[in-house]
Amino acid sequence: MLDIGFAKSALPKSGALVLLLEEGEPLAGNLLSAVDEATGGAVLRALTAAEFKGRAGSNCVILAPGAGLSRVIAIGIGKPDSLTQRGAEEAGGNVVPLLARETHAAIAAGGVSAELAAAVAMGAALRAYRFDRYRTKEKAEDKPRLSKLAILAAQPVKAREAWAPLKATVEGVFLSRDLVSEPANILTPAEMADRCVALEKLGLKVEVLGPKEMTKLGFGALMGVAMGSANEPRMVVMHWNGVSGGKKPAKSAAPPIAFIGKGVTFDTGGISIKPAAGMEDMKWDMAGAGAVVGLMATLAGRKAKVDAVGLVGLVENMPSGTAQRPGDVVTSYSGQTIEVLNTDAEGRLVLADVIHYCQEQFNPRFMIDLATLTGAIIVALGQEYAGLFSNDDALAAQIASVAEETGEKTWRMPLADAYDRGLKSDIADMKNIAGRYGGAITAAQFIQRFVQGGKPWVHLDIAGMAWSSKDTATTPKGATAFGVRLLDRLVSAHYENS
Amino acid sequence: MKLRIGSSAPSAVAVALPVPLGGAVPHAAAPAAKVAHFNGQAGTCCEVRTGGRLLLLIGVGPSPHDATYRAAGAMAVARLSHLKRIALDATGLFAPQAAAFALGAMLRGWTPPQNRRTADPDAPKLTHVDLISEIPGIEAAWGDAEAVWRGSELARDLVALPADVITPDGFIERLEPLRKAGVSITVLKRRDVQREGLGALLAVGQGSAHRPRLVLLQWEGAMEAKPVVFVGKGITFDTGGICIKPADKMWEMRADMAGAAACAGTMLSLALRRSPAPACAVLALAENAIGAESYRPGDVLTSFSGKTIEIIDTDAEGRLVLADALAWAVKRLRPAAVIDLATLTGSIVVALGHEMAGLFGNDPALAAHVAAAGEAVGEWVWRMPMAAGYRAALASDIADLMNCAKGRGQPDACQAAAFLSEFVGETPWVHLDIAGVESREAADDAHAAGATGFGVRLLDRLVAARFEDLHRA
Repeated sequence: MLDIGFAKSALPKSGALVLLLEEGEPLAGNLLSAVDEATGGAVLRALTAAEFKGRAGSNCVILAPGAGLSRVIAIGIGKPDSLTQRGAEEAGGNVVPLLARETHAAIAAGGVSAELAAAVAMGAALRAYRFDRYRTKEKAEDKPRLSKLAILAAQPVKAREAWAPLKATVEGVFLSRDLVSEPANILTPAEMADRCVALEKLGLKVEVLGPKEMTKLGFGALMGVAMGSANEPRMVVMHWNGVSGGKKPAKSAAPPIAFIGKGVTFDTGGISIKPAAGMEDMKWDMAGAGAVVGLMATLAGRKAKVDAVGLVGLVENMPSGTAQRPGDVVTSYSGQTIEVLNTDAEGRLVLADVIHYCQEQFNPRFMIDLATLTGAIIVALGQEYAGLFSNDDALAAQIASVAEETGEKTWRMPLADAYDRGLKSDIADMKNIAGRYGGAITAAQFIQRFVQGGKPWVHLDIAGMAWSSKDTATTPKGATAFGVRLLDRLVSAHYENS
Repeated sequence: MKLRIGSSAPSAVAVALPVPLGGAVPHAAAPAAKVAHFNGQAGTCCEVRTGGRLLLLIGVGPSPHDATYRAAGAMAVARLSHLKRIALDATGLFAPQAAAFALGAMLRGWTPPQNRRTADPDAPKLTHVDLISEIPGIEAAWGDAEAVWRGSELARDLVALPADVITPDGFIERLEPLRKAGVSITVLKRRDVQREGLGALLAVGQGSAHRPRLVLLQWEGAMEAKPVVFVGKGITFDTGGICIKPADKMWEMRADMAGAAACAGTMLSLALRRSPAPACAVLALAENAIGAESYRPGDVLTSFSGKTIEIIDTDAEGRLVLADALAWAVKRLRPAAVIDLATLTGSIVVALGHEMAGLFGNDPALAAHVAAAGEAVGEWVWRMPMAAGYRAALASDIADLMNCAKGRGQPDACQAAAFLSEFVGETPWVHLDIAGVESREAADDAHAAGATGFGVRLLDRLVAARFEDLHRA
């Protein structure tokens, strides 16, 4: 991660300086007049020549303006006092590619609050992510060089305090992005479980169940998916006991909140095999689990005052002599039988058992599952929103409200009996697909059959959101870790004892 | 079908009787109901033969309301349509419920116009329904319901008839009932369409021997107010054009004018029940055919609004005819609100299946009113998003926008809505993507198979609830 420090607002003697400028005549912003004076008016002359107006999202790069500075970068932050937390993150993020050739830089954030200064830092850190593990021959001059970023703030101590929990969130996001970026020959279910166990150093308690335990429990749905692969499945249960300060919660403690992730480390489709084109994307079919792991690391990292459990079902879906066949009937952990008509509708089978286990073990306050579940949700909402399905209007509304703040947007989609009817099977309690039309909804209906007694539940279909084909302000192209920030904010806004 | 209201039904051989949960059943039917475990639960029924008649007991549950009575009426017809004449026993029901009971039956009794002439022994025979009711106000209540039923019948017939009959001009010929009801009809023929500069509509229709038309239906109403305007996609047949569709299921594309049909049906309903609200409908009628004059992918069209459109796919034609119809309606009619209906995208069917239409719009209040109207009549809609990213995907290198995004698996329903929003400006607007709900594959107790007339009842209810009271507008 970028090395981020906070300092009192003062003109640096070298390196790059970033100015956050409000829209208006004349332009205004922290250190603008100081740097303009030091450079003999070069900065304002350049900004005028470039017709830079301070519009949000605009920028202007001035090379070697004098005063020892290598470059001055103006970033527009829009109308005075209009900067939001998300806007500050985006401003910070948009700076990063402009600084790729610098080793150290300072952002003059003395004109905004300590919280917004910390948000600028967060945006920059998020954007500076790179998954570099397998680039062995990239020349040093081709790599981004930025390693140190100073945030110049009016109240550096306060800003540093605001940054501490955000830093934990960034670390959680990076963990999640790493997991999603890893290829499937490296990140098998066992390997991913090992990486979860490594999080014990943060104070998480981690349990791992292997095929023997899951078979014994009767995880017929999950095991059915796993049986075609040489890589054994795992279920990982991560506990964060934040209310009791890391100790086992008292018997009288309120039940935890629960997050559940689909972790198909590679999805060939199984016997119902997928077309070759684009199949490489299926390494990120564990992004739901990746988000849950990143979220749990975040909660632990920032010592969130909440009791939470995170469960991930990790399997590889392969075609082989031992693979599940279309037409097979499996008995899920809940006892309900499922006719598997399409082995490529496997995510819901994994979730069925993990969700039932979660409710039975923890009777949580609510359950939120994340899954790259359907292609239908991409045809419905594209790469703008995750599909949100829920049996609980209040919880759905809480998520929708924090979604806008984090930029991880969700759109509510319907559940109704008429869709559920499509799951009727001739020989089992249900089948695992109900046709192409309304496919994301029928998938959600399927999962809902494993939520008992109207327990508040949200299903996030993140198939369109887990991977970005282009850079955005705070996310470089690639794994997005969608869900980590959204659910971290949900917890901090609504579920933490202050 | 004909409906007669009276205190008895001497010539009906079967009577349908709604029974609330745990409610009493006629004495003579009690033993049979007991054996069949019939207790009035909603969605259940029980046939009893008594006194030379067939009695159909229909459960309406613990707290019956309009929707339950509508469902009961539908079930009566679903179970008894092999008979020529049936009675609905609405004794004891208030007028609105009795009318809902009757409306449910009459809507369920629709059959495709082709069927009405066949000698198929299994074809439904039902022609007469007697509504047994003496409650004051029943005539007026049924009058309003009958108007919406007739509007729905018109829309469904238009959708069901094949494309050799329902060409743009064939569609217009079948609007005669509207003229009789007092709706004024203006048809812009190809020259007028050209003169008006409706370049997008013209391009879509230019490959066909049947020329495109823009139809304006106007109902004056009785109020001094801006009209509510309905805009309908009326592609009388959609081959896809040069970007031709696969042959499999192409025949379904005769229903690609269901939006325009619903608008026409709504206007008939408003006129028949003498709605005080001024209302207009603009129907964009064209056949998207393949011909030597067809428009091509890569063409750039200049629409009525002046905006230029680069064609990526000639099968994304509905949004083109709507673009012109919407912009024309906004400019020429100065509407209070615009609602368009279109079988627009396959994407919405992937998103919502066959149970709900997609609702898009630029005005949360209007969207909420449309959704509420849909819920009241059982034509369900689901709000879908408008986001800047959907419009951004339509950025063109050589024109103001593309008619669809390149590449497969696009969120085309959302992008199509973003496209349409470019042509309505600030006018409150709702777009209903009704692909997937305009027809039903199979009949069940609640629905006939085939054309649904989706939109007629929703829009009629919207006008009644929202546009007939000046103080609320």
